Amino acid sequence: MLGAFVRAFRTPDLRNKLLFTLFILTIYRLGSVIPAPGINPDAIRQCLQGAQTEDTTGLYSLVNLFSGGALLQLAIFALGIMPYITASIILNLLTVVIPRLEALKKEGQAGQAKITQYTRYLTVALALLQSTSIIAMARTGQLFQGACPPSSYMPSEDLLTLITIVFVMTAGTCVIMWFGELITERGVGNGMSLLIFTTVVAVFPSSMARIWSEQSPWIFAIICVAGLVLIAGVVFMEQAQRRIPVQYAKRMVGRRMYGGSSTYIPLKVNQAGVIPVIFASSLLYLPQLAIGLLGQDSDNPVVDFLSTYFGPTGTHPVYMASFFALIVGFAFFYVAITFNPAEVADNMKKYGGFIPGIRPGRPTAEYLDFVLTRLTTPGALYLGLIALLPMLALGASGASGNFPFGGTSILIMVGVGLDTVKQIESHLQQRNYEGFLR
Amino acid sequence: MVLGLSIVLMICSVLLVLLVLLHKGKGGGLSDLFGGGVTSSLGGSSVVERNLDRLTIITGLIWVVCAVVLGLLINRGA
Repeated sequence: MLGAFVRAFRTPDLRNKLLFTLFILTIYRLGSVIPAPGINPDAIRQCLQGAQTEDTTGLYSLVNLFSGGALLQLAIFALGIMPYITASIILNLLTVVIPRLEALKKEGQAGQAKITQYTRYLTVALALLQSTSIIAMARTGQLFQGACPPSSYMPSEDLLTLITIVFVMTAGTCVIMWFGELITERGVGNGMSLLIFTTVVAVFPSSMARIWSEQSPWIFAIICVAGLVLIAGVVFMEQAQRRIPVQYAKRMVGRRMYGGSSTYIPLKVNQAGVIPVIFASSLLYLPQLAIGLLGQDSDNPVVDFLSTYFGPTGTHPVYMASFFALIVGFAFFYVAITFNPAEVADNMKKYGGFIPGIRPGRPTAEYLDFVLTRLTTPGALYLGLIALLPMLALGASGASGNFPFGGTSILIMVGVGLDTVKQIESHLQQRNYEGFLR
Repeated sequence: MVLGLSIVLMICSVLLVLLVLLHKGKGGGLSDLFGGGVTSSLGGSSVVERNLDRLTIITGLIWVVCAVVLGLLINRGA
């Protein structure tokens, strides 16, 4: 394990990539502690300490998770990559609905580049929208649930300062987007997911320290062990895959012999990754946004209904049930979008491949569909359970609301971590293979 | 002073957004977020991209310095 690290740093190419990635991540973390102009950092810190004693699963928990706590500090990178994620989700859903986008997606690389460009434009628009709404919430004091007077952390309230903050936050989101692309291009791993990874991990030490100071050592130990077991379980489930054997027929093209190899199609149990959880949480965040917009204490029946069933604490059984159902539904939906059995079967037929015992063409597609559906069922249930876990823990114990191993964060940590390690490994293998031949 | 810095900061922000959007988008959206396939982009960056990078970095530095100085000024003033 350590040897691999040493080897990774001995390879000059890989070392540069790793250092570049670390450098960008450091700048990103630095930017998320610099407060936006017109914000008093000391006052904010005091407000945070006051608010943290209340529940942590508050209104902006998910958004705050994706910004690594930068949102509640109103930093220049306050929005994090949330706008980019939202934009990608929206465009992903729209590809199913809008025929033009679907055509672009089928075009391959060029079309994909165009869709990426649309995502970027949408990100800027969303960033503008979100920063405006956050500033509006901060000004009315809603950001800290009224625990703190807004005049303390926003000393100057003139329009110029507010507009400047909105501009700065929007530009910050763009810079983050660029960072992500830079890491993808010149660093190791996928930039966007690495940035999410850092933000998720960044909140970890502080929440662990809080548990250490608030609870007895025994509870701390139990939480640590539970977290480790959970991580191991998630790794196990993420790696689980079914390999469907594929045999390629030998064929002669001119004097060369092609094919004749037997490979397999890996079908993961959790083919969709964390995306269903993120979809579901962003959808369930909408009612809370509506409550915030309509005003918390109006006697509007809609607000009343929303706040009883979909309130900010999110521990009502109806909320949990709909969260679970949404995750399961989205898992199937997303797998259906990303893996098209008919297309795979068609491609296999074209290159003379077949699954032993099954005819090529439509029977293969039907078989793949059957296997995939059967495989996704436990995968989707597992995703839902993992995501519900913090809420269940919250409901069961009541007091220990600050369980740091939230389902979404563990899924993200494990998923991104595994992916990055795999990429580093493939880089290493390239090197070693070369050295071996020499 | 505050007014001038605010205006500079806003101009910088707009410039930064435009410069970032001018870059060619890398990374294929959500599908390779969170563990998708390995997308290898062959071919180095062109001259245009390199100049864009340089411009973006300079603008970004000015932007950060402006933001910090303005924040300090407003907090001192209030």
